[in-house]
Amino acid sequence: MLASILASGLAVGAVYAMIGLTYNTMFSASRVMSFTAGQLGMLGGVFGSLFVLRLGLPMIAGFVLTLLCCAIVGVVTELVAVRPVLKSLDQHLYVLSTLALALMIQQVTAIEWSTEPQPFPRILGIGSGGITDEKFWLPVASCAGAIIGLELLYRHTLVGRAFLAIAEDNFAARALGLPERNLRIASFALAGMIGALAGFSGGALLLAFVANGALLNFYGFVPVALGGLGNNRGAIVGGFALGIFQQAANFWIGGIFSSVAVFVLFIIVLLAAPQGLFGYHAARRV
Amino acid sequence: MPITRREFALGSAAAVGAAAFSFPMPAIAETAPIRLGWLASMTGASSAPAIGFNRGVVWAAETINKAGGVKGRMIEVLTRDTQGDPTKAVNATQEMISSLKVDAVWGPTNSGESLAVTPIMARAKMPNIHPCVVDALIDPQKYPNAFRMAPSNGQWDDAVRGYCLKILKVKKVAVIGDTTGYGTTAVKYSANGFQKDGAEVVYQANIDATQPDMAPDMLRAKNAGAEAIVVWSVSTGMEARMFNTRAAMNWDVPFVGHPSMSSGDVANLVEKRENWNKVYPVGYRSCSFDANGKLPPRSAEFVDRIKGQVALSDTLLWWVAGGVDAVNLVAKAVETTGGSSGPDIIGYWNSLRKYPGLFGDYTFTPEQHNGYPTEDVVMSEASSARDGAFSLAPGYK
Repeated sequence: MLASILASGLAVGAVYAMIGLTYNTMFSASRVMSFTAGQLGMLGGVFGSLFVLRLGLPMIAGFVLTLLCCAIVGVVTELVAVRPVLKSLDQHLYVLSTLALALMIQQVTAIEWSTEPQPFPRILGIGSGGITDEKFWLPVASCAGAIIGLELLYRHTLVGRAFLAIAEDNFAARALGLPERNLRIASFALAGMIGALAGFSGGALLLAFVANGALLNFYGFVPVALGGLGNNRGAIVGGFALGIFQQAANFWIGGIFSSVAVFVLFIIVLLAAPQGLFGYHAARRV
Repeated sequence: MPITRREFALGSAAAVGAAAFSFPMPAIAETAPIRLGWLASMTGASSAPAIGFNRGVVWAAETINKAGGVKGRMIEVLTRDTQGDPTKAVNATQEMISSLKVDAVWGPTNSGESLAVTPIMARAKMPNIHPCVVDALIDPQKYPNAFRMAPSNGQWDDAVRGYCLKILKVKKVAVIGDTTGYGTTAVKYSANGFQKDGAEVVYQANIDATQPDMAPDMLRAKNAGAEAIVVWSVSTGMEARMFNTRAAMNWDVPFVGHPSMSSGDVANLVEKRENWNKVYPVGYRSCSFDANGKLPPRSAEFVDRIKGQVALSDTLLWWVAGGVDAVNLVAKAVETTGGSSGPDIIGYWNSLRKYPGLFGDYTFTPEQHNGYPTEDVVMSEASSARDGAFSLAPGYK
């Protein structure tokens, strides 16, 4: 039982962590919590199934096209739901605009794709249903790849440092001549690709299912809140912890009560540490 | 004798009155088409049944009309796509009653919409026949105009319980549903029924249909000693995951329950075709192959007759047959009573005893508007679909 809890807990935890990274990547560039993050994860599965199973493209081509399509959705999010409300961030209009776009994405997917879960192709064909099956370890490997890729980008490239600069201080970055708008668009494209990676690598587990959007929107937000807004390491630890706790609750409590257990823990953690487990108190100049 | 203007005016008025009231009316009403309103969820989440029913409706109306109609009256089907949305169904119903002035309404085909429109049709005394399963939709006191020509949830439940206890002869069952309103209600009702009949419900759960891993619940059911798993859900993803998990656990427990377990979507989602074996969803005797692979004579004749005209490969035979029956029930009412008024049609339906439809032999009385015979609700082999019909589950004669 322990092996099963760990295998599936780490797998869904990795997907939650990647959606947490999607939230953070968009937030860092814009200070906006975009509720399209979960939909990007859902689209990763849907596009993957569409390109590989329905259109019969090779796996690599399907994967690249999925990344590309989700990057475009990320850019559209910035243009349609984020940019128009940036001037009034204090009114939190982005909640409405990003939620509206998320709903539109969900509805269009339901109409054009299906409201029923659709199969997702086996990516590598390794394992056959047991805990060594690729559906359990592939999301974990993808999450590790995303973490390493982001670290390399942020620490070792000029563009990555520019991302960090606008995340740290938007005005100062602009004063230094950084193309803030272009960097923000690039950040949303990058977030789209991370979301796509979450949906694609977790496709065998979650299937290509329109209802995954709302699920990932919520369960992807929990690690962000637990780990601290904008804190990628916190989101990763929070994502894996959530996945394992949720799966353990499924085994020990079962059914809908496992969701209740997750919410209870979430509320307790936020009461104890409102800034998140890895967040910090922001100083406000008075 | 001179005729005064007053006498002329009175005489003219009398002549006009006589023309209007005394002479027989021309037979306009008897050649007017029979207007059948069809509330069809042709697009949206629950469109599959309506698409199947519609094939039967169109075929039946065309067949009757080609043969000269019902006593010279053509069948005119007025379809409105409700998209599975109760609000749209309400609007379409109002339109059918007030503007289109239909003679009877067939549908809706899902209970959510039907719950919304049944009281409206009852107020208008509109003859309504539908295939929706929720028990509360049929109440001859509250809704004397509403008739059900498919089994109710209760009838499904009785059939599933009967199969588990009398044919599979299991004593311990796990009852699992999804977390929708339907799933939670159905699980409670089903578990109560098993307990009343002396069976032990060793595990009972409602699972979120998006839950990616079914191992926890399947393991609990197995550890509790379940000899059969009864499933009440319309989520094909959840069902396929349970079948895959059962295979991974090397467990050969049978699944019995909701018809969606035989959906073509499940075939795409099971990891291996054999994971779909020992799955017995609700089916119907009229649309089931016997041990020799033959349909009942009436259904076999129908399938032969519609070959090349109506596609069955991507739908269910009972949906098509149900659509044909709905049109025929309205046509027969007009043919027998000679009229198409609400009381004519309702009165005829209330008089039916074992009316031989394609889908079933319907019986309605003024006190009982559940017309489908419970004994014709049977279990099928989920993976045996052919021409929209299934093989009978093991144990039936």
